[in-house]
Amino acid sequence: MRDLLYGMSSLPSDYFAVFGIPVTLALDLPEIQRRFYVLSKQYHPDRFGRASAAEQQYALDFTSLLNDAWRVLRDPQARAEYVLKNNGLEAGDSRGNPPPAELLEEVFELNMALEELRQGEAEARGPIGEALNRFLALREAIDTEREELFLRYDAHRQAETLQQLRALLNRRRYIENLVRDAQQALS
Amino acid sequence: MAYSNKVLDHYNHPRNVGSLDKNDAQVGTGMVGAPECGDVMKLQIKVNPETGIIDDAKFKTFGCGSAIASSSLATEWLKGKTVDEALAIKNTDIVNELALPPVKIHCSVLAEDAIKAAINDYKVKQGAAPLLQAH
Repeated sequence: MRDLLYGMSSLPSDYFAVFGIPVTLALDLPEIQRRFYVLSKQYHPDRFGRASAAEQQYALDFTSLLNDAWRVLRDPQARAEYVLKNNGLEAGDSRGNPPPAELLEEVFELNMALEELRQGEAEARGPIGEALNRFLALREAIDTEREELFLRYDAHRQAETLQQLRALLNRRRYIENLVRDAQQALS
Repeated sequence: MAYSNKVLDHYNHPRNVGSLDKNDAQVGTGMVGAPECGDVMKLQIKVNPETGIIDDAKFKTFGCGSAIASSSLATEWLKGKTVDEALAIKNTDIVNELALPPVKIHCSVLAEDAIKAAINDYKVKQGAAPLLQAH
């Protein structure tokens, strides 16, 4: 335990370093989860009851960082946004990337149906259900594309890939909101 | 955040809500949206073939109060203008008229984009060259 902490005065600089790996978008999640359990045990504050105050503090800080890191890295969307942010790309910014016209048409129709349903027109449920299915399919397609961009970025580390990723993430968030609205309306 | 009285007025009493026949050759339809806030805005104009003046304008916006007010105001301004005059409407005019705060400026940009998109659709239908993208 003492060996573990020896010389470790500063915490890892990013969430990937916490797990001892370079920045990786296409993560091997089971492996990260395994490391998470190992590190959680290793740095559990209960094991530092007799350690110096500095060591106790380090174990506490590390554990808290570890939990943050695991929470973000386990979720592909949060992980990608984290990497974008560390590269100076604000996730919400979609300038120059307007959504395609067909998607807007769909969004508009869904909103019309949602409004009709709110006004008590039960037959609007049909179109909402159909729209929901289309958005779910769209989300799946986006997730496939996201995985491809993850692998491409890991292999080549190009800023251009991150730009594409940001546009894709924005579109996904848009669709995610629509899926949520539709599901809420139908529940 | 407090909305200005003008925003509230347009929000509570939106002008020209509705839709025009998008297959009509005299009608131009603009559909724009902002993924970050989920807003989607449809704005339509109907141009009088004799005079070239926008006789009618309709909108339907799903979004925040500022987005609704911006598009409502836009339709008011569009009526009675020629297509070229309509192209001169800038988002900053909308910001000033509605006293939009900085965080809501994108709503006015959306409204300007919707105007441009509607005019573009109309021009293309008339066989004219499409507009260059403004943003």
